[in-house]
Order: sequence, then structure tokens, then C-alpha cells
Amino acid sequence: MSAASKQVTHVEVPRDGVRIRCQGVSKYYRRTAVLDAVDLEVRDGTMLGLIGPGAAGKSLLVKIICGLVAPDEGHVFIDDIDVTRLRERELQALRMRLGMVFQNYALFDFMNVGENIALPLRMEGRSSETSIRNRVAEVLEQVALPGIQDKMPRELSGGMKKRVSFVRAVVRRPPIVIYDDPTGGLDPVTSAKIFRLLSDMKAQGTTSITISHDLDGIRPLCDQWLLIEHGKTLFSGDTSAIDQCETPYVRQFWRGEPA
Amino acid sequence: MSAHPPHKPNVLELFLAALGSPFVIVGEQFREIFKVFGLTVQYALHGRRRWKEVWLQAYRIGNESLVFIVCVAGSLGVTLVYQAGLQAERIIGDLTPLGGLYLQILLREFGPTITALMISTRVGTGIAAEIGSMVVTEQVDALQMSGAHPVEYLVVPRFWASVVMVFCLTCVSVLVSWLAGLLTALLAFGVSPYTFATLSFVIPGDVILLLMKTTAYGIAIPIVAGASGLSAHGGSEGVGWATTQSVVNCSLAVLFLDVLLSGFGYLVLLR
Ligand SMILES: Nc1ncnc2c1ncn2[C@@H]1O[C@H](COP(=O)(O)OP(=O)(O)O)[C@@H](O)[C@H]1O
Ligand SMILES: [Mg+2]
Repeated sequence: MSAASKQVTHVEVPRDGVRIRCQGVSKYYRRTAVLDAVDLEVRDGTMLGLIGPGAAGKSLLVKIICGLVAPDEGHVFIDDIDVTRLRERELQALRMRLGMVFQNYALFDFMNVGENIALPLRMEGRSSETSIRNRVAEVLEQVALPGIQDKMPRELSGGMKKRVSFVRAVVRRPPIVIYDDPTGGLDPVTSAKIFRLLSDMKAQGTTSITISHDLDGIRPLCDQWLLIEHGKTLFSGDTSAIDQCETPYVRQFWRGEPA
Repeated sequence: MSAHPPHKPNVLELFLAALGSPFVIVGEQFREIFKVFGLTVQYALHGRRRWKEVWLQAYRIGNESLVFIVCVAGSLGVTLVYQAGLQAERIIGDLTPLGGLYLQILLREFGPTITALMISTRVGTGIAAEIGSMVVTEQVDALQMSGAHPVEYLVVPRFWASVVMVFCLTCVSVLVSWLAGLLTALLAFGVSPYTFATLSFVIPGDVILLLMKTTAYGIAIPIVAGASGLSAHGGSEGVGWATTQSVVNCSLAVLFLDVLLSGFGYLVLLR
């Protein structure tokens, strides 16, 4: 292992407590900025609510944070490691401490549920087959889906897929988790279950970013907020600040008032 | 919204841009193919070994294309030998060398190349469509978040499977074509199977050339198809684009390698 990958695998919360930091992140497609100099900071154990209308660049921003997409400008730091400078091997090592729930589930459709959830553990390469099987059964039980290991993703309902996607993201117990629209398209009861899971994760000290349109659902969970539209930051700050923000668009968005 | 060029183009990109957009696209595809090639070699040599997955993929390749290959190889054998027989009767009036020469051209040329072209359409498209749809549904992103590299996880097993199966299927194809030719020679021209079945024209160079070609095609098809799949973007129309691109690029790669290796063969091996 090279010195760099050792640094990447060595987990240590930075001294200033900021685990995720974006500095001037911009991304262009066909010369239009879809992200324009976005800054953000997420402190250890807190949750950032990333909100904004559709096509604002929210999903793109979290993909950049995970190193799945390279930004055209700016830097992303996870635990003070510059993600934009890492080579593929180092990124793989860094991702061991990241989990991501994708907006459209992104379950592997050629694998059954058990294999889907086991893959992150297999890739980590630390656990035996027996302990992997036990862990998969354990996490499925935690989301009230016991015994569905042999089902294929296409046999599941939307809510079940979201929960399977959730457990696949957290099965390695990553300290940092990103939820991209974890309740999109779900009924209120299932949404409430998912928000309960998010709240449990936070209680266990996970640092996270949550993208959601369900403001009532995430309001009690998030400590900080970032509102973007067309890739530009419209608001960044904590809950009391956004409550008092006088910018018309922010007020409208935050209170759900019609324009 | 502010406008900015994403990056400064280098000299090669400027040169290609000056030639026109088709050249830019071709340049991009070449770059993607060579990138996937480099990564595949690297992970094939140093990555995790997943032989079960290789076996599964090999089984799928065989299963998908065996019947197709047998049909095409059989009809090719019939038409080739029938035409060759007609010509030979008219020009030299002697059909004794027919079988030997036919076997030689099968080994050198038609066996490996026609088989590889068929595998390009049957298997290459499958690889591109599968990987392409994983890209557009973010499964490839999820794979990366799990700690796997898409080339290592998706391309490398298909690479090993293809290297083995292109060879095996070529052997089947040569055998079927040759048997079809033998029957045609017997029924159409009354050439006895004993006369037809001769190895007298085959030299070791023919077999070496066959091995070189099958290996090269076996390497090229999954890499070119995988590169097409990985460069899919957008929604389902991106998958369609990747699949079409894969047939075109795989076929071109096979034909290009054929010319290259045949040239090498005639200059070095078959003198
Ligand atoms: N790979 C890509 N190619 C081209 N445009 C993209 C790509 N990814 C995202 N975009 C564009 O970036 C914008 C933001 O997309 P996205 O991050 O998915 O929005 P959100 O998640 O906020 O709804 C959209 O306008 C989308 O069209
Ligand atoms: Mg989105």
C-alpha cells in the first residue's frame, strides 16, 4: 500500500470537525454552469439538508463529493483529504467510509437482495462469508424486511427498494452517508419509516447530507441547510437563519408558499 | 448563468476539432477504448479473481451464440465449397485439392474472422447494452460506491470468458464449416470424403495464425463493447446509441486486426 492510500484508509475526524467541505465547486455541461462555485461544510455528527427545485444540481453535487464525477473547478475535502486529487485506488479506499442512497435506488438488477447488500462487505474484504450472511440478515431485519435475501430487485415495491438501497449504503457502518431523495415517490407511512432510520443513523453519530423535497420530514433532522437553484447557492446556514431569511425565493421555498 | 470552457483543449484535440466533429467523436472513442484496454489488462493481471463469474459469462457467450454460429458456419461451408467446386471444375478440371485448400482458408481466414464478426453482433451488443443500462441507471455509480471498479467488476470477467470462448467457438465453427463443405463436395461433385479430408496443405503457420487471430479478437470484442457501454449517457436512448456503436466498433476492430494479423502472417509465418 502506498503512503497516499494509507492516508486515505486512516480515519480521523479533522481537528476543526468539518468532515465534508466543498470549496468553489463548479461543473459545466456544454459551457453552461450546472454548478456554480458551490461551498459547503458538514461538521462531524451533523446533517446538512440539501434542498432546491428539480434540476438544481443537487444529485450532481453529491456525486462530485463522492468522487463519481470530477468537478471542473473547485475542491472537495472528505476528512481533509482532497477527493479531486485522488487516484482511482485511493478513491476506492476513501469510499469505504462513505455510503450513498441513490435517487433511483440503483440496485444491481442482476443480483438478488442479499448479494446487493453483501457486495460492499465483499469489496471491503474483511469479513468471512458467514459473518457477511449474518450481517445482511441483521440489517434487513432492522428495516423490517427480514428474509427477503433471495428476492430480485424487480420483485420489490418502491418503498422496499429504497430500504434495500438504504441498508446497502450503511451495511459497512460508514461514518458519512449521503441520502439522495430517500423518500421520493413514497407514501407518508413508508416515508416516516425512512425518516426514522435517518434519525437513528444520526443518533449513532453519522455525518450526512440529505437531499429531499419533503421539508416537513427533514426539518427536525437537519442542522444546516443549503438551498441551490440552477447550480447557484441561494441560502446556506442553520435552521434559525433559514427561518428568518427574508430573501423572497428562500422564504417561498422554505414555507412552501406559491409564487 | 456564467459561461466558461470546461478545460483547455490540447494540441491533438484542436487538430481533430479542425478536421470536423466526426473526427472528434472517433478520437474520443479511441481514447475510451485504449483507456478500458489499459485498465482491463491491469485488473486482469492484478485484480481480484472471480472465476465463478468468468465461468458464468463463458457459459452465456456459448449459450447465446452457439446455434447462430453453427447455422452461419454450416451455410457458409455449403456455399463456399459449391462455388469453389464449380470454378475448379471449369478452370482446372481437378477437384482433389478442394478439401485441403478449403481447410487452409478456413483456418487462416474464414473460421476466426467470421466467427468473431458473429460474436461481435451477438455477444458484443449484449455486453454494451448490459453495461450501458447499468451506467444510465446509476448502477455503475453504486458499484463504485461499493468499492468496486467497473472495469474490474464488469469488463474483466467478460474479457477472460471471451478470450476462451472466441477460441472454442472458432473451433466449432471451423469444424461445422468443414463438415458442411465435405458433404457438399460429396453430394454436388462426388468428391470422396477420403480425398476431401486431407491436411496436406495445412502448415503449422496456419494454426499459429488462427491462434493469434482468435486471441486478438477475444481480447478486442469485450473491451470495445465494454468501452461503448461505459460511455453511454442519458437515458435509454443512450443505451441504444452504445449498442449500435458497439456493433460498428467491434466489427471494425475485428476487420482491422484481421488485416493486420493476416499481413503479419503472410509476411512472417506463411512464407
Ligand atoms: N452527465 C450529465 N450530462 C449532462 N448534463 C447533466 C449531467 N448530469 C447532470 N446534468 C444536468 O445538471 C443539472 C442538474 O442535475 P441534477 O443534479 O440531477 O439535478 P437535481 O438532482 O437537483 O434534480 C440538470 O440540468 C442536468 O440536466
Ligand atoms: Mg436529483
